[in-house]
Order: sequence, then structure tokens, then C-alpha cells
Amino acid sequence: MLFQFEGVTKTYGRVVALDNLSVSAPTGAIGLLGPNGSGKTTMIRSLLGLTRVDRGSGQVLGMDFRRRQLDIRRSVGFVPEDECLFPHVVGVEFVTYAGELVGMSTKDAMQRAHEVLDYVGLGEARYRKAESYSTGMKQRLKLASAIVHDPKLLIMDEPTNGMDPRGREELLELSRDLVRNKGMSLLFSSHLLPDVESVCDQIIVLGRGKLLTEGNIQQLKQLHNRTFEVRLKGEGRPFAESLSGLGCVAKMRDDALLVEIPEGRTQQMLWEAAAQQQVQIRTLREQRSTLEEVFLKALGQG
Amino acid sequence: MPIFDQGYQHWKGHLSGHGWRWLAIARHGVRIGLQGRVFRIVLLVSLLPALVLATVLSIWSLIERKSDLVGPIVQFLSSMQILSPTVAADPRQYRLEVWTLCYNYFFSTELTLSMILIVLVGPNLISQDLRFNALPLYLSRPLRRIDYLGGKLGVIGAFLGLAIIVPCLVTYALGLLFSLDVTIVRDTYRLLLASVAYGLVIIVCSGMLILALSSLSRNSRYVALFWVSIWIVGGLASTILEGVYYGQVAASQMSRPPEMPRGRDARRRMTPADLEKQQNWAEDFQTRMAEASKTDWRPLISYTSNLSRIGRELLGTDAAWRKLSELQPAQMRGRVVASNAGPLYPWYWSAGVLAGLFVISVCVLSLSVRSLDRLR
Repeated sequence: MLFQFEGVTKTYGRVVALDNLSVSAPTGAIGLLGPNGSGKTTMIRSLLGLTRVDRGSGQVLGMDFRRRQLDIRRSVGFVPEDECLFPHVVGVEFVTYAGELVGMSTKDAMQRAHEVLDYVGLGEARYRKAESYSTGMKQRLKLASAIVHDPKLLIMDEPTNGMDPRGREELLELSRDLVRNKGMSLLFSSHLLPDVESVCDQIIVLGRGKLLTEGNIQQLKQLHNRTFEVRLKGEGRPFAESLSGLGCVAKMRDDALLVEIPEGRTQQMLWEAAAQQQVQIRTLREQRSTLEEVFLKALGQG
Repeated sequence: MPIFDQGYQHWKGHLSGHGWRWLAIARHGVRIGLQGRVFRIVLLVSLLPALVLATVLSIWSLIERKSDLVGPIVQFLSSMQILSPTVAADPRQYRLEVWTLCYNYFFSTELTLSMILIVLVGPNLISQDLRFNALPLYLSRPLRRIDYLGGKLGVIGAFLGLAIIVPCLVTYALGLLFSLDVTIVRDTYRLLLASVAYGLVIIVCSGMLILALSSLSRNSRYVALFWVSIWIVGGLASTILEGVYYGQVAASQMSRPPEMPRGRDARRRMTPADLEKQQNWAEDFQTRMAEASKTDWRPLISYTSNLSRIGRELLGTDAAWRKLSELQPAQMRGRVVASNAGPLYPWYWSAGVLAGLFVISVCVLSLSVRSLDRLR
């Protein structure tokens, strides 16, 4: 188990940031979703032992987050959301210092800093002042300083905010590699659903400090066994009209046709209709919800 | 298949315990501080008083041994009436007093240099972290706020320790080596302890104050200005107010100076009675001023005066002057003590001011360097 919360409540004055939250997450890549003010940052701070919760208990990597904060932070790497830097240092000193703060010897931290800077693609910029880095480079620098001590869990808070598409894709690729090939667990908090979907296997959706939904992304994106996504060769509109005549609900979405067939009928009727209309079906598959739909549905239920 | 995967490698090294985390911050701060050229020069200059102290103590040790090497120096000092015949005859009797005064002069020079060192390195310590929003980077690692502040104080401690405490220890050892007399330890070990304690007082008090100031602004120039104004403007204000106060005391308590012959050959025309009158008046003036200084709070406005007062008490400077004044004629003794020792107000007034500033610094730091347990 990566972490586990049992009835955790945290308030800031009148604001309830976490409301009797109980959640558990297996090892792997977890996406943390939720609108602004849903409690994502408070949850991350609680995991790191940076915030004192009012009620409840929990564990991170098997350690009680109320008692062993420093041990937890030693085993976790954190990439904060804000733009933050150690001032007046070059890239390699930045990462070395981050390693020393976790408890690495200067020699180990320096050697490791060079390795991780190469890994995140900042090898060429290692002797440049960190202040002069672009936004994307700063994010990668923060990632390098978070993984310098080879943590078991990496927490990334809105890591792709403000990045250009290329930098964003590079950072996501690094995150994927760390999770899939290097065996690191990841808690990835983001507003950007495609980012979460491209990196994570599991999601946790929070709303007003409560757990709205959690689980495997593929399982949450449920199959709709009466709705099919149909791609045709040629114009789809006449075919859609003919299907409407057969009692189906058909509508165009992008370049595909979404068809909901009547109760009690099978996909066979689509093949028959296509044969009648003399159109060629290129793709026919049962429709799955998108992550956006899962997210919006969870918010609606909350 | 690649011979060596340049991708991510796992690391299986050893992490040190939490207790030493502040040291990493202090080490980093020292590295950054030493990058400044001006700072390095001032740091080197701050070691010069230590050289002088070491030289003087070594010469004194040779004088104690009545070494031929220092014969000309003893002759010169005696001819200049710096070294009285009584002291020259039995220098060991005045060992502690001479060492005390040497250390006192060393500290008064180092105090000024320390203020300059602090203004060069201190303002950046927290203000730059606030400016670059580095606190989340620190506090999301296995560090407590006290580790962070301890590390930052360690930077001040390292530099001032190098300028003050290390030279004290080294010069003590040199003095000991040149004297070749173990009784020197018996006579002066308290002075060594007092020097280290005074060094620590300077480091902790001024270190906490500059950290508190540094946490108040994201612009280190403002912090430096604030520090300079506390140091220099406070000192000037204290001096001016003291001048006004002693002027008022003299005007209200003293009669006019006795009329003396004037002109080119005034000294020749002075009778013994005139001279006695003048000496009595001067003695009375010194006594009244010394008496007035016992209740004078104005030196408390000056930050460095407060530190000096604590230093004098710890080192025993006033007692040393009192003993040396006994070498002078009876009517001169009071004047020797009054003109060489500083203000005579109780030392615990200064201790109270420094303790108050320390508490205020702690409060400011606890408000400015906040944990992440808050809403943005």
C-alpha cells in the first residue's frame, strides 16, 4: 500500500480542507484530481507531514504520517507546484544541495546530481544559474532535485502548469519512465486530465475535501454496451438518418458516429443497416467514457 | 544493448540522521558567502587583529621569561612610560591584567569587523530564500523550521567564529607556547572561557537579529540598510544623547573650573596651590561623571555598546584596569579607571536589552518563516 487515510479531517479556520477523508492507494501511478479548493494540496501536505490534521490517522509507505513526518519526507520526493528555487546556484549545485538536505553526503549528492541532471535532459545546462532556466527547465530541475535520493514515492503537484507542449510532453515522458521502467510510485496532481491519463493507472477524485471516486482508470471508463462508435468510409450523415428511422439515437462526434441502439437489439442491426445503405463500416466498437466524463460525473455526484 | 545505461539509476547509499541536517544548510550558506570577493577581503582583514593579539601575547610571554630577545622592546616601552618599572620588575604579577586588556582590545576591534561581516553576508540569508520562494523546497524535505534557522545561524556562526573564537583559541595557545609556563593556564583559563562565551554571545545575539531582519524583506539591500542603521545610527544617537546628558550633569553639579593663569608661560606661572586646585577639580569631575554613568541608560541605545558591556563583564576588564591603576599615584587612580573603563551602568541592563532583542527576533522569525501548514 502506497498510502492510506482513515477519517482524516483538516480545517483552516472555517474552511474544511479535508472532510473525514478515507482513501487508500496501491503502489503505482496515482492521479489526484479535483477542482480548485477540493483539498488536493492539503492532502499532499498531510502525506508529507507538513500539515497537522485535526482528526484521523493514516500511513504513507507504512509509516504513520502523524508521527514519522521526517522519515516519510526522506522516502518521498516532492515537486512543488510553485516556482521555487534555491537562490544563486547553478543547476548541479541546486540538485547537490537538495540531496544534502535529505541526508546524502556531499560526494554522493554531487555524483548523483550529475546523473539525474543527465536523465532529465539538463546535462548541458548544469553549470548555468538556475535563475536563468526557462519554465520547463525549472520544472525538470525540480524533478531532478526530487529524485536525487531515489525516493520510493514521487509526488508531483501540477507539474505541467505553464509549460509549452513540447516541455510538457518531455516531463510526462520522464514521469512515465520513472513509473513504468524504474519502479517508482507516483502521485500526480493535475487539472489536466490528458496528462493524468497519459501517466497514471489509478485516480483519486476529490471534491470539497471528500473522496468522490477512486479506482483504476480503465475500469472507471466504463463500457456502454448499447452505444457504439462507428467510423464509415464516406459520408456518415445519410446513414445516421437511416439509423434514426430504425429507432437508434445517432449523432456525429468528431469524425465518428455515436449510435445508441434500442433496448433488446444487438450490433448486428448496424451491419444490416450498413448493408442496406451500401456504406462500408471501417470501425465498430463499444463506446467507453472519457476520463473527462468520469471526472464530471464524479463531481456531479459529489 | 547499451554498455552503460545513461538513464535513471537507482541509488543505494546511506542517508545521515536528522540531527545534522542544519549542517548542510550552514555549509551551503558558507559556500555561497565565500563567493563574494569583498566579503573574502573583509574576512581576511578581520584576521589581522588576531595577528596583532598573537604578537603582543607572544612578546608578553617573552617579557615574563625576561628573554633577551625582547630586551630592546622592554627598554623602549619603559622609556615611553608604557611599561611601569613595577610591572617590568615582576611581569607575572600582572599577567592576567595584561592578557585581559589585550583580549579586550582585540574584541573591541573584532566587534566592528563583525558588524561589517554580518552586513555583507547576513541580509541574503533568509530574504533571498523568500524572494526565490525556496521555503517549500526546504520544508518539504526532512527538515524542521528549527533546522532551517539553525543552519542559517550556523552561517553567521561559522564566519564570526572564524574571526573571533578561533583566533582567541589560537592566540591563547601561542601565548602559552611562548611562555613555556603551565601556571599561565591556572591564571588565565577563565579568560579563555570568557572569550569563547563572549564570542558566542556576539554570534547568537547578532546572528538572530540579522536573521530576523533578513526575514522581514525580500530585498536584501533594505535589510542591509536596516542593519547599518541599527549599528551606526544607534551608536551615533547614543553618543549624542550621552554628550547632552553629561553636559547637563556637569552644568548642574559642577562649579566652574578654577581660574588658572593664561598665556604663553602659564604653566610656569602656576603655583603649587593652583595645580592642586586644578587636580582636585579634575578628580571631582571624573568622580561625578563616573557616578552619573552608573545610572545612565543612554548607551543601551547602541547595539555594540550593549555587546561591549557584556564583554567587559565577562572578560573582567574593569577589574584589570582597577589593578593597573594601583600603579599610579593615589589621586590619579580614579581617573585612570574612569577614562579607560566604559560606562559603569549595571551589565544586566545590557543583558536585558540583548535578551529582549533575542526574544523579538525569535518572534519575528516564527512569524516570517512559517511552516506550510496554512492556506495560500
